[in-house]
Amino acid sequence: MTLDDRKRPRTDMKTEVLDKSIVLCRACDLVVRKRALPTGVRALCPRCHTNLYDTPYCSVNGMLALCITALVLYFPANFFPVLEMHFLGSIRTTTIAGGAMAVASQGYWVVGIAVLVAAVIAPGLLIVSILTQVLIVKYRLRVPFFRNIYKKLLKQHSLLAQLSMLEIYMISIFVSVFQLSDYTDLYFGIGTFCFTMLFIMVIFMQREYDIEHMWSVLDE
Amino acid sequence: MSKLSRPPQGETLGLTNCPTCKYLCHLEQGNCPRCGQAVQSRDRTSVQKSWALLITAAILLFPANLYPITIMTSQGQVRQDTIFSGINHLVHLDLLPIAIILFTASILVPMLKIFGLALYLTAISYRLPISKKTLMAGFHIIEWIGRWSMLDLFVISITAALINMGQIWDAKPAPAATAFALVILLTQLAAKVLDTRLLWDRLESKDDTN
Repeated sequence: MTLDDRKRPRTDMKTEVLDKSIVLCRACDLVVRKRALPTGVRALCPRCHTNLYDTPYCSVNGMLALCITALVLYFPANFFPVLEMHFLGSIRTTTIAGGAMAVASQGYWVVGIAVLVAAVIAPGLLIVSILTQVLIVKYRLRVPFFRNIYKKLLKQHSLLAQLSMLEIYMISIFVSVFQLSDYTDLYFGIGTFCFTMLFIMVIFMQREYDIEHMWSVLDE
Repeated sequence: MSKLSRPPQGETLGLTNCPTCKYLCHLEQGNCPRCGQAVQSRDRTSVQKSWALLITAAILLFPANLYPITIMTSQGQVRQDTIFSGINHLVHLDLLPIAIILFTASILVPMLKIFGLALYLTAISYRLPISKKTLMAGFHIIEWIGRWSMLDLFVISITAALINMGQIWDAKPAPAATAFALVILLTQLAAKVLDTRLLWDRLESKDDTN
């Protein structure tokens, strides 16, 4: 904080107080006076109805538990088949990455990469990133090296969150099942179960996670 | 604050949000004190970038819809499906709920997204008789729903991986799949690069009542 104070040009007390008490809408730049909110309530911009802020609901231990659970589920969800098909006596199974490879091997590598990134790589990185952040906040925030890593991870967070599309993959599994069930027998395996649980864990993890709160940890 | 005729904006106070960490920065600082990102009040080039991505996406929408997206072989008979004919086929198979989901995700959403973003970008540059609130609400919907177009690609990847029995029963992706993937990518990027604060500036100087 001392370094930051030196960088900042001298401003009078009034603007310093103003800084703490207002918030700018990120979508329309309106100046909004900040006020305390009860839990579970979200402040919207009065002009354009964009989310401004909500009460930080970001328990570090809760997130740690969710991250570890998600990480444990991530591996079976990706290595066991999510769908199994029995057709004329032969059995076909596929994992998520297997689906991406099947498309890529036909020459549609753009589609293959899109599937792989959205359903395998981004969710994995997201879980690892949040886990690292939580561990740093919990144990090593004062060390400059870890502080830098923490900042770098926070910067990438919104991109990772946008790229990970587990919920859409979940619906795609159901759509495929409905499409194919007229022709063959489809079975869910342990992979489907793990994937479903992974999806639920990530949903709760992202609900708990609050990026503004994680940034504000650095100010303390 | 709403009683004022011109609501105060961050720019007039010399303040702005850091684009990365949303820290309230003074514009004269140049960089965000918390995360080091360069700060600027408005990204005026974002309209151009957004238009460029959007126009590319609009062009790719044609191959994505006109070329076949899957090739199905069933007992020696080859059947090529575009996005629309595939959905049509589902309706004939009495899978109406699935057809509605796929229609929304693969036809309605990309088209609405391109049309909506074009409208939004036009509203930034020209005065349109649409309230800013409606445009902003539309933008939020576009941002949120856009990713659901990936649904079709996921379904294609699952079916292509499961159904591979040569002449008996086989499913493969076809050229439109790549075009469709690029449409999703480019429209998402177009919405992401756009600085929405520009809309509220431009219309305000001409029309305060909105």
